[in-house]
Amino acid sequence: MATFELYRRSTIGMCLTETLDEMVQNGTLSPEIAIQVLVQFDKSMTEALETQVKSKVSIKGHLHTYRFCDNVWTFILQDALFKNEDNQENVGRVKIVACDSKLLSQ
Amino acid sequence: MAASTTSQVYIDVIEDVMVKVRDEFVNTGASPGDEVLRELQAIWESKCIQAGAVLGPIERNTGVNRPMPGGPITPVHDLNVPYEGTEEYETPTAEILFPPTPLQTPIQTPLPGPGETPNYNIPTGPSDYSSGNDAGGNADVKGGRQAFMPPPSPWMNMNQRPPLDVNVAYVEGRDEADRGASNQPMTQDFFTMTGGKRKRNDLPPPYDAGGYIPQQDGAGDAVSGDFEIEVCGGSISFNSQHTNSKGKMPADLERLASRIPQLDGPIPYEDDVLSTPNIYNYGGVFNEDYNIANTPAPPEVPASTPALVAQNEAVNEDEDDEPLNEDDDDDLDDLDQEDDQDTNHLVLAQFDKVTRTKSRWKCTLKDGIMHINKKDILFNKATGEFDF
Repeated sequence: MATFELYRRSTIGMCLTETLDEMVQNGTLSPEIAIQVLVQFDKSMTEALETQVKSKVSIKGHLHTYRFCDNVWTFILQDALFKNEDNQENVGRVKIVACDSKLLSQ
Repeated sequence: MAASTTSQVYIDVIEDVMVKVRDEFVNTGASPGDEVLRELQAIWESKCIQAGAVLGPIERNTGVNRPMPGGPITPVHDLNVPYEGTEEYETPTAEILFPPTPLQTPIQTPLPGPGETPNYNIPTGPSDYSSGNDAGGNADVKGGRQAFMPPPSPWMNMNQRPPLDVNVAYVEGRDEADRGASNQPMTQDFFTMTGGKRKRNDLPPPYDAGGYIPQQDGAGDAVSGDFEIEVCGGSISFNSQHTNSKGKMPADLERLASRIPQLDGPIPYEDDVLSTPNIYNYGGVFNEDYNIANTPAPPEVPASTPALVAQNEAVNEDEDDEPLNEDDDDDLDDLDQEDDQDTNHLVLAQFDKVTRTKSRWKCTLKDGIMHINKKDILFNKATGEFDF
């Protein structure tokens, strides 16, 4: 199963990365196992998003920058408005990084 | 997306990872073992709780602990640092206060430039002068000045009173040199002032028209020796000059002539008198003038003096580079700051489709993690509509 390393930049992914870094620094973990954990996280996170999350969001805003490189879209929005069923959030600037979903199915 | 939902998903992910990695930890000969795996899970969970991403199952996290937020805060401080730049602005303002120096310059101007000699000779001049000022270019000049800058008013004041002393000193010196008799210093001063004003008045239009010539025309007329012409010109000061000193005419003419050239080019540099009017003119039109004649810029200081506002603007223009740079930096920094701000507000997702019609972008995303306003929000699908 193909996975994206994309989600490692999320809060939970960063926490895992920090943890693994510390443990590798300590010599508690080998770098190889640490990488295996990260790969497993990629899979688990992707799967969890597919299976457990059902919510929908709409995003509007001024597109300050767009970039498509290596099948990754990057948008930088200004004065963005995020809406979902529960509430909405305003953000002065937000970055959106999106990988091609079709790559996962390959 | 309640935080609890996100938290639950995160907890499930952690559990899932732990379960699926367990073999690696336990089965391999060199494997770290189960305890290490638990340690990993414990640290990971604690970090997530600290980050506020996971609501502690046991410990309801305060939610306030936000390492991530901390990151954003730091950038904020950085932003504050730039504000220091604002302080810099303030500093300039202080300098603006200095403008008084320029004020002096204006005063000097009146002294030398104004048809000093003629004014002196004519006692009646004052009345004419006053009338002339009222009726004549003063309105125009004042209006223009006021519109452009507040400072002019100070200058006006200077002309009316404080300048008097200085003028007198100058007047006396020259008067004595030129003419032995200067009975009415006050009047003379006023005349001088008026003369200066008129010149200024005349000057502004000429600038617009593209020529000091008109102002100097008065002088030129004087050179020709046509008293009538001067009178027609309506420049009382000039008339007085002619009437007063025919014999001096050449000298005056020479002065005028010399001044004229100065006015065009050197205004800022040499001619105090001319420079003053010019400066004012600059102040009035400052934006255009500066742009056009940045070279003459040296006069900038005087220009700044005339009007505080003008100074500010002038200074800004001079210093515009800094402010502009800062602004530019913001724009440029956007890219740099992106990274910093990415941490603050970030959306990680997969895209199904991205389309653009003219400047309108639409995209459909799925399986995303958003970190917005210190909250983690998960979504299955997202639609984006952006205006570029």
